[in-house]
Amino acid sequence: MNRKIRQLAVVLMGLYVALFAALNYWAVDRTDELASEPGNTRAVIKEFDTPRGQIVTADGVVVARSTPIDDPESDVAYQREYPTGDLFAQIVGYYTFGLGSTQLERSKSDVLTGDTFTQQVRALGDLLSTENDQSGEIRLTLREDMQQVAKFLLGQRQGSIVLMDVETGALISMWSWPSFDPNRVADPDYDAAFEYVTELQEDERDPLLANAYMQRYMPGSTFKILTTGAGLDSGTITPETTWPYETEWVPPQTDDPIMNYGGTSCGGDLAEVFRRSCNIPFAKIAVDMGPDQYPEYIDRWGVEEDVPIDLPRPAASTLGNTDDLDERLPILAISGFGQAEVQMVPLHMAMAAGAVANDGEMMSPFVVDAELDHDGRVISRTQPDVWKRPISRQSAEIIQDLMVQVAESGTASCCIALEGGIPVAAKTGTAQLNGPGEPERSHAWITAYAPADDPKYVVAVIIQGTNAEISASTGGRLAGPVAKAMLDEMFRIDPPTPAGAPATEPQP
Amino acid sequence: MSVRTVVQYRRQTELTLIVMAAAIVGVAYTLASLGANSVIPARMGPFLGLVLILIAVAHIAVRKLARGADGTLLPLAFLLHGLGFVMITRLDEDLAGFQALWSLIAVGAFCATLLFVQRAIDLARYKWTLFFIGAGMLLLPMLPGLGYAAGGARIWVSVGPINFQPGEFAKLALAIFFAAYLADRRELIAASTWKVGPLRLPEPQHILPLVVAWGFAVLVMVGQRDLGSSLLFFTLFVVMLWVATERNIYLILGIVLFSGAAYVAWRLFDHVQTRVSIWLDPWEDEYGSGFQIVQALYGIGDGGITGTGLGRGSPDKVPLAQNDFIFAAITEEMGLIGATSILMAYLLLIGAGFRIAIRTDRTFEKLLATGLTTIVGIQAFIIIGGVIKLVPLTGITLPFVSYGGSSLLANYILLALLIRLSDAGAIRRGERTDDPTPRERWAAWKLRRAERKLAS
Repeated sequence: MNRKIRQLAVVLMGLYVALFAALNYWAVDRTDELASEPGNTRAVIKEFDTPRGQIVTADGVVVARSTPIDDPESDVAYQREYPTGDLFAQIVGYYTFGLGSTQLERSKSDVLTGDTFTQQVRALGDLLSTENDQSGEIRLTLREDMQQVAKFLLGQRQGSIVLMDVETGALISMWSWPSFDPNRVADPDYDAAFEYVTELQEDERDPLLANAYMQRYMPGSTFKILTTGAGLDSGTITPETTWPYETEWVPPQTDDPIMNYGGTSCGGDLAEVFRRSCNIPFAKIAVDMGPDQYPEYIDRWGVEEDVPIDLPRPAASTLGNTDDLDERLPILAISGFGQAEVQMVPLHMAMAAGAVANDGEMMSPFVVDAELDHDGRVISRTQPDVWKRPISRQSAEIIQDLMVQVAESGTASCCIALEGGIPVAAKTGTAQLNGPGEPERSHAWITAYAPADDPKYVVAVIIQGTNAEISASTGGRLAGPVAKAMLDEMFRIDPPTPAGAPATEPQP
Repeated sequence: MSVRTVVQYRRQTELTLIVMAAAIVGVAYTLASLGANSVIPARMGPFLGLVLILIAVAHIAVRKLARGADGTLLPLAFLLHGLGFVMITRLDEDLAGFQALWSLIAVGAFCATLLFVQRAIDLARYKWTLFFIGAGMLLLPMLPGLGYAAGGARIWVSVGPINFQPGEFAKLALAIFFAAYLADRRELIAASTWKVGPLRLPEPQHILPLVVAWGFAVLVMVGQRDLGSSLLFFTLFVVMLWVATERNIYLILGIVLFSGAAYVAWRLFDHVQTRVSIWLDPWEDEYGSGFQIVQALYGIGDGGITGTGLGRGSPDKVPLAQNDFIFAAITEEMGLIGATSILMAYLLLIGAGFRIAIRTDRTFEKLLATGLTTIVGIQAFIIIGGVIKLVPLTGITLPFVSYGGSSLLANYILLALLIRLSDAGAIRRGERTDDPTPRERWAAWKLRRAERKLAS
């Protein structure tokens, strides 16, 4: 019998080896697949069971935080809360139990939960203490007060406002309307949250998207900044170049003439055509540069590339289809003044004007100033970064002068003069959207920076041409006051040092 | 320097190992509380007190009543029992209170078994009584008014305020009966004189136990919807028959019979089909019948190699994790490493059990040790394999680890019997003196008195 007992022992041992193998299969081989099963809520529960850090604006306002749940019946210990409602929804995103997470809540989740390598290493020191909250904090470059101003200025009009630091690319404000309330998305009542999100998703105005950097719009005359830069850098034009006064010009390959805005007669030197925003000279620049050279110089501005912001899913500006442009010269001509298939991301427009203000260096925009650990120590701080050098310093200085004249006596002179006489530079745009026979529709654009002699802040505003009232106006009249108010508010908070005055020495 | 015998070393080893097991359990208990609430457990005092009392009582009982027995059995059982208790506490404080009470009762039953069964052969004497007790207990849940179903299986009996699973005790009674029956008749059963075509089978009346066992298994499977217990019984019988007769034909016949019954059951019964389809793909009905096992697998995957840490996982996502699925809970929080240590503990227990069987020269003791070891080994395999989707899931407790009074009680009695068999072997090999038991002393005294009366 002993032989059979030994055989039995071997069989049982074999069964246990099989158990061990199967256990390895699930606990080692299949962990990732199991973790990503849609029905697996463990990871989410674990995340909601641990404290998650705050997201704070540059002026110290908490825009996202976790609050403990008192209910002992609750599956999880914390609820995510957004005290400023819709104000930062498109940048911060949401962090929910059932509907996933978006934007910074998603991309910076590691820091917020304390899972970055740095935080884990620092946490080792707390091993023996009772402290088990390792959550980190995100400090934004955005200011809550300026975001409120942007929200107020835009009101119920669809559009976007971007305010950026010229020298660093740090965003001070980035607002689009419509927005949404992340508190309703993070509602513990899943059905209510799902209904709300479905409603937002079905809204064709895309309230869930940060239109300021995730969408692109026809830029109209603001695009003349890019065309001028291309013309100057390529040597096609100089400040001395002049154009004849004319009301219409027929580009090659067509019989349809190009007109100036409002059908006016327009011409003169570069300063004049830029100040008055004539269309024909810029169409001619594009055609003169040709279907090969013009797109190449425009692409130097980062057109056709995703805007390099530290947020998910940025859009790319585009010149449209550039294949066979030599057979479509009228399209090339119209592109020269920002019509046809040209589309710009609002943020990119601010970056373009910022590059002019910054002597030709285009900065990468960013909203995260710093990542902090639980004790407020800095884990990482965003370093300003030059993304592109689209134009030479000389070309930038020429365009700076052009934009100052637009503000002083051109299409923006009505509306952009800043309080306290701070010198300002600007370019307006009125992008005509309607095809032949359609009702008049146009986007109102402006981009401006100040102080013109020592640029600190650049602003871009687009008000979408959703109705006849907006479309009847021009970029200068409609968007101009918004840009002015943004800059005025900004300088109230951060007054510029008077031109020529020495910078104040830091007090010891 | 005192001369120490093998037996003294064995008890010394046992004490050292139990203290180590207790230390592991104590640390696990503290860690589980720290992990969940960041505090030293409030009931640390009562808990440690209970552990020390149980250890001391059981160890002293072995020292007094079975001092020649293997020294690893009790520590292994304590380790499994303790880790299970920690996990039950972590899952449900109220259940932990009941389990503590049951632990006391189980250790009491352990001591009582050692006390009352001082000679292994005593058990063989009552084999038919035990057969009827065992069979009766197995069928008890099917009695209307007394038995009831919980969680799909009708394996419970309710008498007044007490609920228990008689099947847990039936397996012990039937193992003893079978060992005794086979010890008497193994040669007859092994002899194959009945020719059926090309096959040579034993006489029909000797093959009867196999048929009866098979009938029981089918009855249990159908009547109580308890696939796990029926598989366990049948495996037990077939294995003992095979070992006793040393004839492979019984193993083959057993497998064929069971496969046939299982196939028919699968064709005929919904609940068997459900079990099989969950086994093949639990995700097909992830939120219905497959929910428990899918959640268990998520937990196991989440635990990975080192586990989430005691108190840091969410094993409570698995419904009734403290019973059949306690192994999943342990794997989630203690990881592959913790789960492997549980598997190793069972393997060592099985090894010790078979060592007892091999080292004894008495057929009954050999077969009983084999049977009892098989019960523990197969039962643990069936439920662990079920939880990790290696075999179809069947509701059956994990010996010593799962929550439950009947299970704990039955397994501690089983442990006491194994220790008794081990001690009997030690006596036979002369490793310890064969002191008469109180009953034998009393019988001897009576005999002497009778002789004196006769002489006078």
